[in-house]
Amino acid sequence: MTSFQSTLGEDEGIAEELAASQREISIAEFFEKNKHMLGFDSGARGLVTAVKEAVDNALDACEEAGVAPDIYVEVSEVGDYYRLVVEDNGPGITKAQLPKVFGKLLYGSRFHAREQSRGQQGIGISAAVLFSQLTSGKPAKITSRTQGAAEANYYELIIDTDTNEPEIKAESETSWDRSHGTRIELEMEANMRARAQLHDYIKHTAVVNPHARLELREPGIDEPLKFERATDQLPAETEEIRPHPHGVELGTLIKMLEATESYSVSGFLQEEFTRVGKKTADKVVNNFRDRYFGREMSWPTPESVDVEAILIGAVSGKGKEATAAFATGVADVLASRDRTCHADLVEIVDNVAESVEAETGKTFGDTVRENAVEAAWDAMTTGRVDDGEADAAVGDADDDAVEVEPESVLRAPLYAVVDDATSTQKDDATVQGLAERLAADFEALDDFRHRLTHSELKRLVDDAADRMVEFDEVTFGETARENVVASLWAKTRTVPDEAPKVRDVAANRDTASALLDAMRETDILAPPTDCLSPITAELLEEGLRKEYDADFYAAATRDAEVHGGDPFIVEAGIAYGGDLAAEGQVDLLRFANRVPLVYQRGACATTDVVKRIGWRNYGLDQPGGSGMPNGPAVIMIHVASTNVPFTSESKDALANIPAIEDEIELAIREAARELKSYLNKRRSMEKRREKQDVLGKILPQMATKVSEVTGRERPEIDGALARIMNNVSVERVVTEGEVTLRVENYSDRTETPEITDIVSVEPQGLNGDASVVDLDGEWFVKWSPSVSAGETAELTYQVADDADFDIQVDGVEAEKLTVQN
Amino acid sequence: MSAKTQEEKAREQLIDLAAEFYDQFARGEIPEMQLPTRTKSNIEYDEDSNVWVYGDRTSTRSANSVRGARKLLKAIYTIDFLAQQLDQDRSSTLRELYYLSESWDNEEAQFNDQDESNQLVEDLEIVSEVTREDFHMRPEESGATLMGPIRIREQTRRGEREIHCQDDVGEGGYQIPNNPDTIEFLEHDVDFVLCVETGGMRDRLVENGFDEQYNVLVVHLKGQPARATRRITKRLHDELDLPVTVFTDGDPWSYRIYGSVAYGSIKSAHLSEYLATPAAQYVGIRPQDIVDYDLPTDPLSDSDINALESELEDPRFQTDFWREQIELQLEIGKKAEQQALASRGLDFVTDTYLPERLTEMGIL
Repeated sequence: MTSFQSTLGEDEGIAEELAASQREISIAEFFEKNKHMLGFDSGARGLVTAVKEAVDNALDACEEAGVAPDIYVEVSEVGDYYRLVVEDNGPGITKAQLPKVFGKLLYGSRFHAREQSRGQQGIGISAAVLFSQLTSGKPAKITSRTQGAAEANYYELIIDTDTNEPEIKAESETSWDRSHGTRIELEMEANMRARAQLHDYIKHTAVVNPHARLELREPGIDEPLKFERATDQLPAETEEIRPHPHGVELGTLIKMLEATESYSVSGFLQEEFTRVGKKTADKVVNNFRDRYFGREMSWPTPESVDVEAILIGAVSGKGKEATAAFATGVADVLASRDRTCHADLVEIVDNVAESVEAETGKTFGDTVRENAVEAAWDAMTTGRVDDGEADAAVGDADDDAVEVEPESVLRAPLYAVVDDATSTQKDDATVQGLAERLAADFEALDDFRHRLTHSELKRLVDDAADRMVEFDEVTFGETARENVVASLWAKTRTVPDEAPKVRDVAANRDTASALLDAMRETDILAPPTDCLSPITAELLEEGLRKEYDADFYAAATRDAEVHGGDPFIVEAGIAYGGDLAAEGQVDLLRFANRVPLVYQRGACATTDVVKRIGWRNYGLDQPGGSGMPNGPAVIMIHVASTNVPFTSESKDALANIPAIEDEIELAIREAARELKSYLNKRRSMEKRREKQDVLGKILPQMATKVSEVTGRERPEIDGALARIMNNVSVERVVTEGEVTLRVENYSDRTETPEITDIVSVEPQGLNGDASVVDLDGEWFVKWSPSVSAGETAELTYQVADDADFDIQVDGVEAEKLTVQN
Repeated sequence: MSAKTQEEKAREQLIDLAAEFYDQFARGEIPEMQLPTRTKSNIEYDEDSNVWVYGDRTSTRSANSVRGARKLLKAIYTIDFLAQQLDQDRSSTLRELYYLSESWDNEEAQFNDQDESNQLVEDLEIVSEVTREDFHMRPEESGATLMGPIRIREQTRRGEREIHCQDDVGEGGYQIPNNPDTIEFLEHDVDFVLCVETGGMRDRLVENGFDEQYNVLVVHLKGQPARATRRITKRLHDELDLPVTVFTDGDPWSYRIYGSVAYGSIKSAHLSEYLATPAAQYVGIRPQDIVDYDLPTDPLSDSDINALESELEDPRFQTDFWREQIELQLEIGKKAEQQALASRGLDFVTDTYLPERLTEMGIL
């Protein structure tokens, strides 16, 4: 640039010269230079991103068509390139749409829709096509078969990067074993260094899409990775919703204004936005008018003004009677009102004029009415209070000479408002001074109707206060000013003028901005949530269960919340123990609209939330009490929204939006609470087992020693053992062919053990509600008594002497059970 | 001989304890042992004996927990050992018991540290109502000594010995045996007993001939006094009707030494009636002395202050004298050792301080 600057002035043609080298660049060209923004910054990553985009599209297509997705992904080496094939069983794509879907950047059905879906911008899959084309020079090969079509269609497609236009290079009919669906084949320069991420992506996709069947083949694995369906239940269909007034930006609003067929703003609001009916639209329009036109200040009718006389003077040629009736009528109405603004006055004059017309037959034309209004308004706002009383007001010779003039009629009402709005600490002179100045300022307003916007009013008050501070050396702080402005604003009235029409709003950025402000300011119901399709806690758990072999699973789905006009739902799941790796940090699985997020974990809001939760409370190890917890656990988080806020276009990380972070935290905590109680129970079971182990060793030793010391026989200790363990003791005592099964429940709740005593001879005389089954010479005595805490149940039967027994007990946790034969 | 029957009784008591466990097992109950809670809040003043004994609160040591079961297992092993020891008329020290446990066939029964074995022996004393000495358990060292005009007869393993505690002993004095009940007092010229905390002060008194000059029996406490020392002090008071005085440093830890001589210790409150001498009087160093004699001092440390404050709550120090002195000490924030008296010269303690204090107390 310096070189240009140095020659500026010498060469007048420089601007033209520069302009000549400037030309429009296509979006495709732009992205060619900014691949990283879309996740194609390296060959390794490009492959993963391409798979991701293709699979996301395939899942969306299937779900929209109500088909349980069956998706096949294949990566293979072809010479120097990698070939990626993604097939789905979706509805297929018509010939007309196909080039646009795969070949045109920013083409998609999603961008303008308020509905939860995987892809949103319509960049992804076409960027993959572009990436393949740029690195391998090969076209994208697409096969599509729509339902019921006799044959599939095969296309070769390239994108003209100058024009962002797709071109079909070749096309033919072909046969395909799928009855309907789409297949895309891309060749690209790539490598498999990101194999782990690729596997993660497919696996995690399977977790959050338990209704989908996925298969992945790639050169590094012998057997394809297959992820079977866990449910036939497709995600709930989502309803598309119109945008919420709180969720649009100015640019979008202007576009919508330009595109709408509505004529009035009210109609536009009701037509184009969700949750806006007549009432809400009116509220918004009123707020809009206040911003656009400003509001009119209202004033009390001063007692010192003889309105009647002034009106009689202002009306001429209407006869004494009619004039008097008119003047009295208006004066009476004004006298009955606390405050009146200019628009009110116009209305009053009109009303009275009409009724006088009806009574007297005289016509009060527009000019007469206008004159009357002007005269009355003039008297109400520019009149002077009669001398005599005015002397009582502040007298300060050094003031800016307002004092020499008689007092304005506005001063008293302003004094009342200011006095009310300021604290009692402001001395009277200050309040008087401000009222004085404000009165002068109002009189000096360009708009004689005293119409002003909030910011104009604020400026007015600020000016007056600043002058006060300057000349009177008093303080008039920010809070006091705000209070005065608020009190004055409360005395203003919405004007009756018609709000501007839609086309006028669209044409003027400031007006549109005023409308947007009005929309944001108005309280409007949160958007409906049927546009969202959460996975649901149940299926989330199912998904985790399917892909992770753990001991424990929990999941939670939060209620929908709203951020910036877009509803969102957060879900969290936790798997713990089992085959999960016990060393190192837990696995964090992040999902947005059912799409796994593979890269940029550190930049993601979900990661931040997980790190700031105190996991020790939930029984996970967390070095230092913050950061990623350690242990054999998987934590997964799913954020579903009509507009998921990502940190960048490559959609790898969620942005830190407090409202969403809060929900993420609550969802995780909900699932973590279940984990905690599971871990607590497990720990107490472990303790119980340890206690059982230790006591099971110590007590017999103690008994032996006790018998040694006392010289008596070794005491029976099983009863004591059972009691110590707080557990259930099942005991068989055989005395002379009489068998007694005794269940003693030392736990603190009712236990229902299922006892099977396998006897080698037939038991007789069964006493109790048990059954006997003969199985090949063995008799199964089945008994399941319900024994309440602290109680004992007994079953007796007789057998021949040489019986063998084998007892099995189910239905009681092993840790709590003591069986004595 | 009464000692024989004592031993038999001790052995019986131990076996009875084991039998109690046996019966609990046999009844299908969880073996347990009830013990008085051994904390400061559970010692009470016994009006009859004027000593501090355990109150009503008890803790249960039950095999219902891993810890409790281990303790009881150790208890029964120890009972077995003690019963055998009594059977064979042997004796052992507390420390030997600790090491001996290493030889037991059961690792769970072995002691982790000596505190544990010491405590267990105390527990057994309490539940069996037999003293440790009757179990033939002695502490590793007692070493406390007597010096003064008294003749005693001690039954030793090598026969009876008659000893005069001034004439027949060296500078070190007469060594109190582990079981002072083997001593018989024969004759004496003792006017009163003076228990001294530190060796330095005890040697000073002997060197200055204080014991001869005033017919004092000087008992060396050696810090927190061993049971034998406290027992013999009590016997001197009870059997010979001698006034007992205690002379220690002027700090909270030394007041506790006095407390255990006079009222018994928290750890052995079950033996207070056997060990404590409630009539023992405190000579000094009082905080008052620090002020009156302007003694060289050290500032109170945080732990000293805590100890003093805890003594204000200690039931053993609930007298006007102690409350006044402790509050004074907290106020001046200073403490002094017995040796601080040397700042006025080596003879000051024997010539001035003690005669003045003892006269004041009505001993001289």
